[in-house]
Amino acid sequence: MIYLNNAATSYPKPACVLQMHARALAMPPNAQYRGAGEGKDALESCRASVAELLHIPDPARVFFTSGATGALNALIHSVLEEGGKIAATETEHNSVLRPLANLAEDYALLPCDASGVIDPKSVEDLPADTAAIFVSHCSNVTGTVQDLAAVTDAAHARGMLCIADVSQSAGCVPVDAAAWGVDALAFTGHKALLGPQGTGGFYLRKGLNLRPLLYGGTGRDSAKLTYGPDEYAYEAGTQNAPGIAALDAGVRWVLDRTVEAIAREESLLARRLRGGLEGIEGVTVYGKAGGGPVIGFNLSGIPPADAAYILYESYGILLRSGLQCAPLIHRRIGAGERGVVRASLGPFTTAEDIDALIAAVSEITQGRSSV
Amino acid sequence: MKIVDKQMSPEPCEEAGWAAYDYALDAPMLRGDILRLRPLGAFSYLEKLRRPFFKVESDHYLVKGLEGRQTLRVGIHRDHMDELTMVENAIEGR
Repeated sequence: MIYLNNAATSYPKPACVLQMHARALAMPPNAQYRGAGEGKDALESCRASVAELLHIPDPARVFFTSGATGALNALIHSVLEEGGKIAATETEHNSVLRPLANLAEDYALLPCDASGVIDPKSVEDLPADTAAIFVSHCSNVTGTVQDLAAVTDAAHARGMLCIADVSQSAGCVPVDAAAWGVDALAFTGHKALLGPQGTGGFYLRKGLNLRPLLYGGTGRDSAKLTYGPDEYAYEAGTQNAPGIAALDAGVRWVLDRTVEAIAREESLLARRLRGGLEGIEGVTVYGKAGGGPVIGFNLSGIPPADAAYILYESYGILLRSGLQCAPLIHRRIGAGERGVVRASLGPFTTAEDIDALIAAVSEITQGRSSV
Repeated sequence: MKIVDKQMSPEPCEEAGWAAYDYALDAPMLRGDILRLRPLGAFSYLEKLRRPFFKVESDHYLVKGLEGRQTLRVGIHRDHMDELTMVENAIEGR
């Protein structure tokens, strides 16, 4: 099988991730926190690794959740609890759009252009009572990367928080929370950070004390039942220590290779794929070159679900079709209601994998005449 | 042609709110078996592909597969699950 569905979840995982997960699970539970990370506290070690990779100024302000959906729901809930209105973009995943549609009385959406790009100047058009804007750094449909520094500057100029979703970029596109100046950032562990599913979290800028979504045991100050804003705890309940230990191993793997090198290699392969597909008559490729390692495309006359079915069943190439849980961007990029076929690369994708996909798509387009 | 196994498919038709099933058959789907499905709805048959692909689709269900394979996939709208038996009968040639 050729696996080109890394934007859904990365596969395979590096051996160190598998080994760390198994080792952490094999430990007595009371040792998982302090033993899983080579003698260090697994959670604190992972906080430091994530902060180093994403250039988060204060590792103590990295909080773990079940993934980006948990993180984004927590942040959206917190902003709404503080009485603020929220804006997002048309490129967002349903992990943002559905909480907004179901929890917020009112929200605004910034449009993207036909390549999936958000114009930072459009922040100026948002209602004055907008408290925060959620922006996906890298589209999981087109790979389009937003200028987070410019969006953050525009948001701050209007007194709004800027909250980045780096689910699709963390680990494969450089992320710099400090340089961008974002107020918060959500990440998932199981994509380009190469950790297991069920891991992820968020960063919340020091001094920004949003009311938590969850309350519960934290292992500290157990007699205290209420918190003041300066005391909020964002990790309630028993944490996924084995998963976080494995995530730490994945992040360290990325750090050892450097995200810049990974991005460079995957960008070359993505350009090779984009160029190859664009050269096939009857194939439409969305977005533009130079983004993350995600390519959305369609074959004329074959719905994306059928194209993905044929690619997997006949050629052994696994990729994803449909709306990719990001329904709004498809209209802007001209993909239609059935979405796109999405190829998403990872650090173990090879040039041979890319060439096999190009050859398969070429063969399908040549043989698509129907009875 | 007999259906020998039926499993909920991990693949999302689910995104459109449909249920999806993967069927195993007791024999490969041959051209005649495929053409027999034509009355079920809009029919497409990409015969020139490396492994010819077929699909028949209505507003409530779809059937897709590859010629020569002993498996196929059926998607069905959750509000019209009662039509699944009719689709299964058509697959089995009954």
